[in-house]
Amino acid sequence: MKKLLKIAVILAIIGVLSAMYVWFFVYNKPHRNYQTAEVDFTLPAQMCYNQYANRADEAIQYTGKVLQIDGIPSSIEKTDSTVIIVFAYNTGMFGDEGIRCSVLPDYQDKVQEIKLMKQVVMKGYCAGYNGTDVILEYCSIITQ
Amino acid sequence: MKTKYLIITIIVLLSTSVFGQRYITKTGHIWFHSEAPLETIEAHNSQVNAAMDIKTGAIVFKVLMKSFIFEKALMQEHFNENYIESTFYPNATFQGKITNSENIDFSTPGTYNAEITGELTIHNVTNKVMATGTLEVTPEIIHGKSKFSIQVADYNIRIPDVVAGKIAEDVDIYVDIQLKELNKESLKSAN
Repeated sequence: MKKLLKIAVILAIIGVLSAMYVWFFVYNKPHRNYQTAEVDFTLPAQMCYNQYANRADEAIQYTGKVLQIDGIPSSIEKTDSTVIIVFAYNTGMFGDEGIRCSVLPDYQDKVQEIKLMKQVVMKGYCAGYNGTDVILEYCSIITQ
Repeated sequence: MKTKYLIITIIVLLSTSVFGQRYITKTGHIWFHSEAPLETIEAHNSQVNAAMDIKTGAIVFKVLMKSFIFEKALMQEHFNENYIESTFYPNATFQGKITNSENIDFSTPGTYNAEITGELTIHNVTNKVMATGTLEVTPEIIHGKSKFSIQVADYNIRIPDVVAGKIAEDVDIYVDIQLKELNKESLKSAN
């Protein structure tokens, strides 16, 4: 009887620990920290845009990966919910086209220090190409 | 093929308009919300492309699916990999028209009720949708808001039985866009 009780207690502990693991590390696992994430591809911003816009084979590999790009920003757009740094390389039906980097909240104050028309290096998650722009989310500013 | 038609429609829609009639944004905010007994799901996308021709009432949206940000990382993963399959179907599109544009005076500031009908393509499936909303006209921008519902099954999005109780069959979609007149220099280059 004691042995059975012992097994039941061990199984209960394993069950609780498993449930805790699933709850904290699977179901509620945190978003990847893109600020510290390892960079998958480093390339000039204009090359990245050109490859997507020209439907080059290389562009496919960037979607869903962490990119580090360098280029000269043309504008900064602020909305109620986000700050976006724009690298424009073309003009189309929706206006300027290029790379649009949505900046992480921790870096939104740093955006004010960015000087337009001067080189900046940024890192972020590449969400892909929407037909006019390459979209980078969770962006951090590496150098300016 | 549908993408080809969409591009042609956008070109026709925009190239036939004249200066001062094309309003655009690339920072449109779209979010969706669904409530099931076990799970509330909400995700936001703040980099939505939208264009409106105030002469014809034509409206176009383009939404990159991987730009939807969820509170839970696991939900975001499942949304992209299992449900929307955003690697294969990266964008959602809407092309439609304001059907009561005769009641909206874009030259007079004010808030107007708008009725919109069009075709929504998600997961490579296109359905007709109707929505109501408001357009707040100011001298600087046109601020559009709308809310409508879709059924996930209509877009061939399969929910496995094991999580069926967690995900609602209906999803409410909210739209909040601030459209600005496309500047004339860009327009000259584009045309």
